[in-house]
Amino acid sequence: MRLRVDPEAGPIFEQIVAGVKAAIARGELSPGEKLPSARTLAEELKVNPNTVIRAFLDLEREGITETRRGLGTFVREDVDQTALKHELLLTAARRYLKAAKELGLDAKAAARALLEVEPDAGSKQPT
Amino acid sequence: MLEASNLHKRYLKTPALQGVDFSIPQGQVVGLLGLNGAGKTTLLKLVAGLLLPDRGAVRFQGEPPRKHRGRIVYLPEQNPWPEGATPAQVARLFSGTDPGFDGDRFHSLLAFLEVPARPFGQMSKGQRARANLALALARRAPLYLLDEPLAGIDLISRDRILKALVREWREEATLILSTHEVGEAEALFDRAIFLKEGRVVKDVLAEELRKEGKSVVETFKEVLA
Repeated sequence: MRLRVDPEAGPIFEQIVAGVKAAIARGELSPGEKLPSARTLAEELKVNPNTVIRAFLDLEREGITETRRGLGTFVREDVDQTALKHELLLTAARRYLKAAKELGLDAKAAARALLEVEPDAGSKQPT
Repeated sequence: MLEASNLHKRYLKTPALQGVDFSIPQGQVVGLLGLNGAGKTTLLKLVAGLLLPDRGAVRFQGEPPRKHRGRIVYLPEQNPWPEGATPAQVARLFSGTDPGFDGDRFHSLLAFLEVPARPFGQMSKGQRARANLALALARRAPLYLLDEPLAGIDLISRDRILKALVREWREEATLILSTHEVGEAEALFDRAIFLKEGRVVKDVLAEELRKEGKSVVETFKEVLA
């Protein structure tokens, strides 16, 4: 799992929550997989361990992860990857729609543009 | 756990602190932020009990800090050790006088911070800073005061120092770190206290600030400019 935080982009604990969800949605973290410890993740990101702990509590409350006593924090087996994917997709869609609206175009025009670029999107984008 | 009320301090005719108040609970990581000459070092020395205020008082666990000298770790900005001394020699000194000094922890910190086994006088500035941090963090204490541990040292040393701080942080320990370059340290702070001309001009929780769409770095520029 690769996470990034940017102190200029809103609360760090929210960014960690979003980052873990995105990792699950992309399949970088699988159901049942163990997350790095709060301390390890804090060290890697150079953030306050309290902040990571707060993010982990949030993930647990949302039913994304669970803490097994003495073992660590794990992605729940029943985590809904489809729902997480959808949530991420909607976020990206909102950003895209906003960009379209700034050009004075509506959702329909935006959707048409998506289909227009779709055939070659796969070949042009590096994976 | 740590209270400062109405702290005043002047050097001859120059006022250094002009009425500083704050209250810091146990376990908080506080950035004490201000430009050079804002009073950061004076404030840390008062909290450490190394200076006495002209007016006002500091209370650590309800008592003057002088009563807790051995339990407050103060890391000055300048290397306090003789040029000819090695970190290992200083560590021996500590292990004889400070029951909180943890030798194993010191050795693991030396390795993690890549401190060379040479006298302080033969180290680079970054190496000296890392050596002093290893010595400071190897002491188990409820309060750590670090004066500009990141100032003027290379990027790699700064990175290591920040990682060591996260690694060694224990939830019961309170840490106050002063700096005039917020930069990459900002994600470490629970709270930021901005000091300007001897006064607290802003005192905020870092995540609250970010909720309002601001970073500590931006706020630093805003309030201290």
